[in-house]
Amino acid sequence: MALKEEKVIVIDPDKCTGCHSCEMACSMKHFGKTHSHFSRIRIQEFREVNTFIPVTCQACEDAPCIKVCPMNARIRLESGAVVTNEDKCIGCRACVYACPFGAPVVNPDNGKTMSCDLCMEDEMGPWCVKACTLQQALKFVNARDAARAKGRDMARIIAEDYMPPKQDSDEFAFSFSV
Amino acid sequence: MKVVIVGNGIAGNEVASFLREHGTDKEIDITIISAEKFPEYDPCSLPYFVGGEVDRDVVFRKTLDYYKDSNINLVLDNKAVSIDSKAKKVTTEKGDVFPYDSLVLGHGGSLFIPPIPGVNLEGIFSCKVLAEADKLAKHKGTKAVVIGSGAIGIEAAEALKLKGYQVTIIELLGWIMPTLFCEGASRFLEDEMRGYGIEVFTSEKVLSIEGDGSVELVKTDKREIPCDTVVVATGVVPGRPLAETGGVACERGILVNNYMLTNVEDIYACGDCVQTYDACTGEGCMYQLKHNAIEQARIVARNILGEKVEYTGAYPFARAHYFDTHAVTFGKTMKGAERICSLDEVEAIERRNMNGYLRVLLKDGKIIGGQAIGKVADYTGLLMGCMWRGDDLHEFRENWPAIAALGSPYPWQARKLGQLLGLSALDAKGTKGSDRVKAILK
Ligand SMILES: Cc1cc2nc3c(=O)[nH]c(=O)nc-3n(C[C@H](O)[C@H](O)[C@H](O)COP(=O)(O)OP(=O)(O)OC[C@H]3O[C@@H](n4cnc5c(N)ncnc54)[C@H](O)[C@@H]3O)c2cc1C
Ligand code: SF4
Ligand code: SF4
Repeated sequence: MALKEEKVIVIDPDKCTGCHSCEMACSMKHFGKTHSHFSRIRIQEFREVNTFIPVTCQACEDAPCIKVCPMNARIRLESGAVVTNEDKCIGCRACVYACPFGAPVVNPDNGKTMSCDLCMEDEMGPWCVKACTLQQALKFVNARDAARAKGRDMARIIAEDYMPPKQDSDEFAFSFSV
Repeated sequence: MKVVIVGNGIAGNEVASFLREHGTDKEIDITIISAEKFPEYDPCSLPYFVGGEVDRDVVFRKTLDYYKDSNINLVLDNKAVSIDSKAKKVTTEKGDVFPYDSLVLGHGGSLFIPPIPGVNLEGIFSCKVLAEADKLAKHKGTKAVVIGSGAIGIEAAEALKLKGYQVTIIELLGWIMPTLFCEGASRFLEDEMRGYGIEVFTSEKVLSIEGDGSVELVKTDKREIPCDTVVVATGVVPGRPLAETGGVACERGILVNNYMLTNVEDIYACGDCVQTYDACTGEGCMYQLKHNAIEQARIVARNILGEKVEYTGAYPFARAHYFDTHAVTFGKTMKGAERICSLDEVEAIERRNMNGYLRVLLKDGKIIGGQAIGKVADYTGLLMGCMWRGDDLHEFRENWPAIAALGSPYPWQARKLGQLLGLSALDAKGTKGSDRVKAILK
């Protein structure tokens, strides 16, 4: 995403308790009901290790979902958000399959996809972020600050990699870039 | 600088708009030569317009005003017929001559019309270009035969079914969408197709199309099918004749180097007409898909603008979607794998549960392709990521107990991958709370 005055939702999964408030807030904002199937943000649950990860569209810079949509229904808004134009979408799910996170959600009512629109121009900002005020797992920040924070995060991770391995630590040959 | 682009399709337009948006040189003189009469439209959208799922205006990606406002000279309904690469000029069928500094060949491919007797009768259509789709959309028939079961054939069949036709698909090879899916997945998709009331015949060869003026019958090596409509969807062949007039080297498609430059100076090519290489395996390939066309076009535009950027390769990725059936395929199928290795080297992981069907193909532990049907397909992006990075799934399996025990959320995709591969969270090494805390603190 271009680093202008765009704001983005940053996720800190360590803080998520899996309460699903963000999902409720999202479906309330967009559909006036509280039902997780209508939420554009989703919690990936790994209960066995008590881990919950909010997953939502990251509005990728060179978004694969836009390139693969046969109907040109995936569009980028002024705000930087990448959303589905329902008038064009035929519900083929190419965008879901091409997304590294499987982020677009299929609207159970009409089979078309939807993804985070940053609550458009709502002066409150994104409702999911508001709903997570207590846990602070979601934050709405300037893209530039987010990039900086991410840079710091990466630096930390890289630094850790170069530290001598602790004796009893598990080594993970497998790492994903998120 | 004069840039002439042949073809007003996905690739050609991406080059033009990229040059306009990113070129600092306001003086770039852009001309697009188009064989068709329309502003840019998306061929991928055509079946959905034919089937009446969307209005006709939805297929367009640009309006005529766009070209005017962006100062792009659009020459409609005028096919480019020859290139003089010495004098740096392109000539069209109407005799117009366009000099260029850089020439971009983005003219895609044309429908492959099999040499079947009767293929020129009335009532025979294709779904490759808008003018044809228009005719098909207006046509009033009741019984249709679709020849060829590639993605386009399948989409055309769905469209006609939606319009109330009785539809039969005929596929020459052993199963439908033979280049996209392995037999197992394809058989399932075939059954689904029948479930929607579409007749499917595989391993069947069309011998002739018969009728007095207009189609009445399709004759195969196994049966005769009465019909009033035929859709030919037997593939797309890259357009080479124009390139050859300019001395541009071609094999299956136009040959380009990593800068999307042909063997002739200042002639670039991109989109369905080029032959490139697979992003993962490096083999020569022609994946005629929209995302590849867009990416190649951007490389062309950036190189014209003086940046030296290399293409990283094309990748196969396609969805198959009709009615309530949702499937996806990426990378190699078993058949496709034959081209890069012996089949003994390929390991297939198959999973089937209430969330659908997943098949992942591995070579030396690395993903080379996959297919999915149903809900599990939603995580295809994750598997493609593994494929591109060349992650070793054998190693992953070995490390799984440790990964599963790790409470930290960061490698959540790894955890998800474990789920997809059917690895059990119960295998976690050290599921005791204290061990988990240790892992998190690590
Ligand atoms: C029905 C259908 C469904 C599809 N579905 C999908 C899908 O779901 N996903 C996907 O990734 N891809 C899909 N594709 C493929 C995708 O449309 C192509 O990969 C893409 O359009 C390629 O872009 P292109 O610019 O190379 O060619 P095109 O978009 O075909 O454009 C080439 C243009 O050049 C013109 N032209 C040809 N010769 C000349 C000449 N001599 N002079 C001037 N102009 C000329 C042609 O008329 C055409 O307008 C589909 C294709 C079809 C037909
Ligand atoms: S839907 Fe996925 S691919 Fe598209 S912009 Fe969002 S995160 Fe990126
Ligand atoms: S589901 Fe809709 S938005 Fe997504 S790729 Fe298909 S048509 Fe485009």
